[in-house]
Amino acid sequence: MQQYDLHGSQHGCRSSLVNMEARPIDAKMITRRCIVARLLEITVAKYRELLTENAGALLVLLPQDYQELSADSRKHLQSLERDLLMEETAIPVYFATETEELREIYEDIKRSSSTDQAATAVEALLSAATANGFQMVINGAQSKSLSDFQITNIQGHLAGFGIEEQLPTVAIVAHYDAFGIAPGLAQGADSNGSGVIALLEIARLFSKLYTNSRTHAKYNLIFLLTGGGKFNYQGTKRWIEDNLDSSETNVLSDISYALCLDSLGSTDELYLHVSKPPRDGSAGGIFVESLENVIKTYYPEVTFKVVHKKINLADDTLAWEHERFSIKRLPGFTLSHIDTPRSDDRNTILDTRGMVDEHKLTRNVQILAEALARHIYNMTEQRNVKLFTDTLAVQSGLVTAWLDQLVTHPRATQLLGKDHILLNSLEETMNRYLKDTKRTTLRADKRDPEFVFYDGAVYKMSAFNVKPAIFDLFLGLAIASYLGIMYFAAVNFSMVSFMEIRLQMSSRTLERMPIS
Amino acid sequence: MTLFHFGNCVALAYVPYMIFYKCSGLSEYSAFWKCVQAGGAYMFTQLCKMLILATFFPPSEIPMGGFDVLGEFMKSTVDFADLVGIHIVMSRVAGKGQLKFMVAGLGWATAELVMTRFLPLWVGARGIEFDWKYIQMSFDSNISLVHHISVAMLVWLYSRSDLHKSFIPIVMTLLALSCYRPVIVEILIHALGFGSWTLLLSKALFTVCTGLIALQLYLGMSSQNANSYY
Repeated sequence: MQQYDLHGSQHGCRSSLVNMEARPIDAKMITRRCIVARLLEITVAKYRELLTENAGALLVLLPQDYQELSADSRKHLQSLERDLLMEETAIPVYFATETEELREIYEDIKRSSSTDQAATAVEALLSAATANGFQMVINGAQSKSLSDFQITNIQGHLAGFGIEEQLPTVAIVAHYDAFGIAPGLAQGADSNGSGVIALLEIARLFSKLYTNSRTHAKYNLIFLLTGGGKFNYQGTKRWIEDNLDSSETNVLSDISYALCLDSLGSTDELYLHVSKPPRDGSAGGIFVESLENVIKTYYPEVTFKVVHKKINLADDTLAWEHERFSIKRLPGFTLSHIDTPRSDDRNTILDTRGMVDEHKLTRNVQILAEALARHIYNMTEQRNVKLFTDTLAVQSGLVTAWLDQLVTHPRATQLLGKDHILLNSLEETMNRYLKDTKRTTLRADKRDPEFVFYDGAVYKMSAFNVKPAIFDLFLGLAIASYLGIMYFAAVNFSMVSFMEIRLQMSSRTLERMPIS
Repeated sequence: MTLFHFGNCVALAYVPYMIFYKCSGLSEYSAFWKCVQAGGAYMFTQLCKMLILATFFPPSEIPMGGFDVLGEFMKSTVDFADLVGIHIVMSRVAGKGQLKFMVAGLGWATAELVMTRFLPLWVGARGIEFDWKYIQMSFDSNISLVHHISVAMLVWLYSRSDLHKSFIPIVMTLLALSCYRPVIVEILIHALGFGSWTLLLSKALFTVCTGLIALQLYLGMSSQNANSYY
């Protein structure tokens, strides 16, 4: 399970070592035992009960294929994820995909605990002696805090036509990390793999347009992939601070708007989340208008809505990435298919490859690119121009490939250290399309850290087949009696053979007698 | 599992050897040192066997789970070196015939037990995981005690000049069978799909049969000998 500190409050498991006997969740004695349970057996109430009864550890078996889960159990898992991470727990909680072996273990312990309620003492003793227990063991060191952890942002830009410093800028922002209750299982295909893919595709398309002098727009485009997005958008925050304060860049002073991308990979809905509705005629207003037009003209199946939500400063965390910009009075909005920031869809291990429909993602990228082009080429009047066709079309093959690539590694924030292979490939790709690609890193303040991560995302748990001590006692008795029998046999054996010799000898002598 | 379990296994494996030593009358002859020598001879023989195996039998490329009957058969042929070793040990031990093969058999079996069984038991039976195979291993060592003594007995019988001529084929067959026992066991595992318990049982039956026949031959001969003293 996740373990992190955010803004001084601690979340998740505080310990990781297990060396306990396995028990099913409905067993009577659970103190200092490792509870093994299927996902659907666990509820928040049950979990609290386990905590109060001093359960030693919890191993949750997840179904192999999330696609087969019903909508109810999805909801159940998502709310469980949220509730378990609300506070810190002392007991280790592990999540494992249910394999054939795990199912056997699970059924074994289920059976052995059902024989716990024997009628007589002898029966109880016998069942105790023949019981088949499992010892769950995770060795190693307690997980440590990653004090030097660096969150990486990658940025690149396309310079507009003309004097670069005097041109307005559009920033396209997406965070690349994922979140789930178990960091090793957080694939985050939709949130925010789809956003990253959309950003890369737009970068590719506009880099093509910008290399041709006839289609070189008078807008600077900044592409920014931020880290720590699931932890209150730490990467975005630092990037804004750096660029606002620094004297050498005036990127943010001329910014028209920041377009944040988050979860674009399914459903036929698109929501533009804003903190302050853009005025008509402003850059943001023109973009929203062209977005509406594109959808209305070419993609009537898509419903588009602008959702206005004020920033709630009393909240611990910000709802959307654009709020980082809005707080600094920079215009920004987030495009997503999710209608409310309270949705659990963005922070779940259920967010796997199967959740994303690459056709819908491709379509959404196409919409986005068209709308953006209409804005920066000032073509809002020409309603029936489709720019990105033929060679300029969004390539669904590329989208699919990126999607597959992004979900091969779990993308929990603490797993994406600064030399992670995924970051390298993202940077390389951006470097191919954009100019001045660079990465900036940030680390938490030593004294009063805003975020602390802990190592250890994937553990190996061993289950040992064990017998109770009473079984050893029985075995000892059996062996002792066997040895006793052996001993008597040996003693009598020499007697038997001796007697046999005697018998044979006497018979021979008897035989000889008459001859002699 | 626990140290207690390890103790169980060790007791099951070793106590029969002690019982045999005490009850067979070896202790009265203070033949302990001779048994140790026999053990030394065992180690030397194993070394020679390994050298031969390594030199003349290149590793065959068989996929995992496959079974090379011919190769195993050839390897078991090298086990005839064991018989030679036992014979040499017995020719060195001065004493009655009975004493000779008991010393050789017991020393041989003990050396094998210490060499091949103790370490797996120490590592395995003390571990946290319970497995029946350590108990089975201990039982197996009991069986191999009987096996080695009967082999020594057969070798001794074979080397005797006063063995009745009609018995020689029987002795030869039994010796050959004992040599190829590992191959037979392998074939049983692969062909009949024997489980570990049935395999143990069949081994025990096989060994007991060999032992009984050898004992019968031996008793017949010793009574002959005893006869001749009259």
